[in-house]
Amino acid sequence: MSDTLWLIRKTLITTFKNYKNLLLYIGMPIVGILLASLIHGGSGETTLRLGIVNHDEGQTVTEDTVQFIKQLDHVEASGIKESEANDLIVSGELDAVLIFQGGFAESLRSGKPESVRIVSIKGTQVTGYVSSYLNAYIDNLATIGRTVQGDAASFDVIYNGYRQADFELSKTMVEDRSVSQGMTKQTIGYLLIFMLFSAVNLSGIIIKEKENRTYFRLLASPISARTYVISNVIVNLFMMMIQIAVTLIVMIRMFDIDPGIPFWQMFLILLLFALVAVALSLVIVAFAGSSMAASALQNMLIMPTCLLAGCLFPIELMPASIQRFAEFLPQHWLLDTFSKLQLGSSLDSVLLNLGILLAFAAALSLIAIYKFGRNRDMRSYI
Amino acid sequence: MNVLEINKLTKQFGDFIAVDNLSLSIQDGEIFGFLGANGAGKSTAINMITSLLPITRGQIEILGKNIVKHSKFAKANIGIVPQELAIYEDMTAYENVQFFAGLYGLRGSLLKSRAEEALAFVGLEDKHRSYSKNFSGGMKRRLNIACAIAHRPKLIIMDEPTVGIDPQSRSYILNSIKKLNEMGSTIIYTSHYMEEVEEICTRIAIIDHGKIIAQGTKQQLKAIITNQKNISIEVRSVEQLDVEKLRDIVGVNTVELADAVIRISSDAEINNLNKIIQQLMASGMEIRSVEADEPNLETVFLTLTGRSLRD
Ligand SMILES: Nc1ncnc2c1ncn2[C@@H]1O[C@H](COP(=O)(O)OP(=O)(O)O)[C@@H](O)[C@H]1O
Ligand SMILES: [Mg+2]
Repeated sequence: MSDTLWLIRKTLITTFKNYKNLLLYIGMPIVGILLASLIHGGSGETTLRLGIVNHDEGQTVTEDTVQFIKQLDHVEASGIKESEANDLIVSGELDAVLIFQGGFAESLRSGKPESVRIVSIKGTQVTGYVSSYLNAYIDNLATIGRTVQGDAASFDVIYNGYRQADFELSKTMVEDRSVSQGMTKQTIGYLLIFMLFSAVNLSGIIIKEKENRTYFRLLASPISARTYVISNVIVNLFMMMIQIAVTLIVMIRMFDIDPGIPFWQMFLILLLFALVAVALSLVIVAFAGSSMAASALQNMLIMPTCLLAGCLFPIELMPASIQRFAEFLPQHWLLDTFSKLQLGSSLDSVLLNLGILLAFAAALSLIAIYKFGRNRDMRSYI
Repeated sequence: MNVLEINKLTKQFGDFIAVDNLSLSIQDGEIFGFLGANGAGKSTAINMITSLLPITRGQIEILGKNIVKHSKFAKANIGIVPQELAIYEDMTAYENVQFFAGLYGLRGSLLKSRAEEALAFVGLEDKHRSYSKNFSGGMKRRLNIACAIAHRPKLIIMDEPTVGIDPQSRSYILNSIKKLNEMGSTIIYTSHYMEEVEEICTRIAIIDHGKIIAQGTKQQLKAIITNQKNISIEVRSVEQLDVEKLRDIVGVNTVELADAVIRISSDAEINNLNKIIQQLMASGMEIRSVEADEPNLETVFLTLTGRSLRD
């Protein structure tokens, strides 16, 4: 234990002594936030043009829902006929059309809401914002419906109370969330890139120590190779934690970006990704014969996969075949988790994503351990 | 108890045998020399002693304990000065020594005093805060030594610590080895420099192609070849010399030319000095001096391997 701490102490001292490292590990993610807010700050001004088709006319509940959508920020909504919908969307006059089917209000009263159809060619990027609010709104009403068990009179009583109390509330809540969420995703995308790079750099210390032969002096002492690698991994994870914490705090506190996900959830999920990053960096170090080879592998692996996984720009802009490929990348699963949580999914519903991330970390660690175990020769590493 | 006991040690890299059935024992208080040309297998043997390379066959014991079974104990009792520098360029001299000594469990004020002592020992006491990247080659070598001795190991192994440094640093290092030895450390000193080994070592093993071809004290080694004598003749110019004719003289074994000096190794029993001088005068050589040497390790090496150490 004391040995491990002694090794950790040395790595931290030499890392923090070099201000370039600080800039890389902590400065860059902050630059990432700045970039994200520059890119997304401008697009916040654009408004979403919606068409609304109401087949459930004469129902107060449905009218209110339409009203709710119209008063959302950055939304311009107008009533249209369903027959016009396709033309308006294809011509680009509308971004999306919402279709309320007949019996919508009734379905709410009975507690089994029919979904509102959304027609768009622009993908969830555009419609996610509206649909997340709409779903939350509908969920609330459906809950009333379920509570009164389809009793129309009781529903109306509760509903009237709810209307007056809640409309104001929702108005204030609905700030510019889509922009905030876009910035968050972009910031996290950059953070993933920097985490991966930092992880490889920190694991690369193992190769550098081999190159300046201090590694052999270490191994000639009572310290074991395993203790040494573990100490490196601990430093690596510690630096990732700092990176994550600094990025999230600066993003939320200084840039006032509301990610739409609780801090601790983001922190823990990103920590899961840190495990993946460190495991990947160990694989790179285990296979690279030199610092040069390691940084070549670093460049070859990290940027292209981050691009494909949607760290740099939304994956919805890419061809479908590439979107499929992204599913083989851990970055995709991290970003996907964030998207889902931002759209209001519960933590339960992203367990699969988290499991996949954990599996990536485990698989990569096993590969690294296997390879390290075979590098017995003094001329190769570990 | 022997500090180091090596029994039939062999290292194979694939089909290549780098260390071949090596056996030796080193007692407490010795300065033991490994003498051998580049590629003889000295570093490979040392890397096995320090557990950096797995052993192909044979056993090594440090202070009576097998180094494979008692790896931590063995490592804790060794200080290694590797052939090539192994120091952190981005750390100060003091931080380097402190860090490596700390690997052996030293902490706090004891660590501080031992690190300072080690730096003073190699003459870097006023360089504590200097970064080693700014050091000269000789200073780096000295720091390389300081990093190996601060934990006061029983056995200090130095693998060619004087390669490529100025004469001043070299004599500093040789003196500090003697001092370390006087202070109670047993030392293994590896070199391909004859004079160094001859100057400081109490016993010597001559290694060639992974094998020990002779071992013992200087006197014992020289006794192997007391049937040899060395004659050095300085002349004005060796241009007209007919080396073959010299070789034909009865008793002469080898003839080497270095500038204006003719070095002849010959059977000690046969008195042929007159014939040699007659031959030189007959070919018009102007003789300036004649010397008959004691045999030295160079001649020992030459006789045993048929090669000079330097090539
Ligand atoms: N890891 C290795 N793989 C293959 N051959 C090696 C390895 N290490 C050393 N050798 C070979 O073993 C021989 C002895 O090398 P070494 O012990 O370094 O010699 P010395 O230290 O006496 O100069 C050399 O021929 C060298 O090329
Ligand atoms: Mg060597």
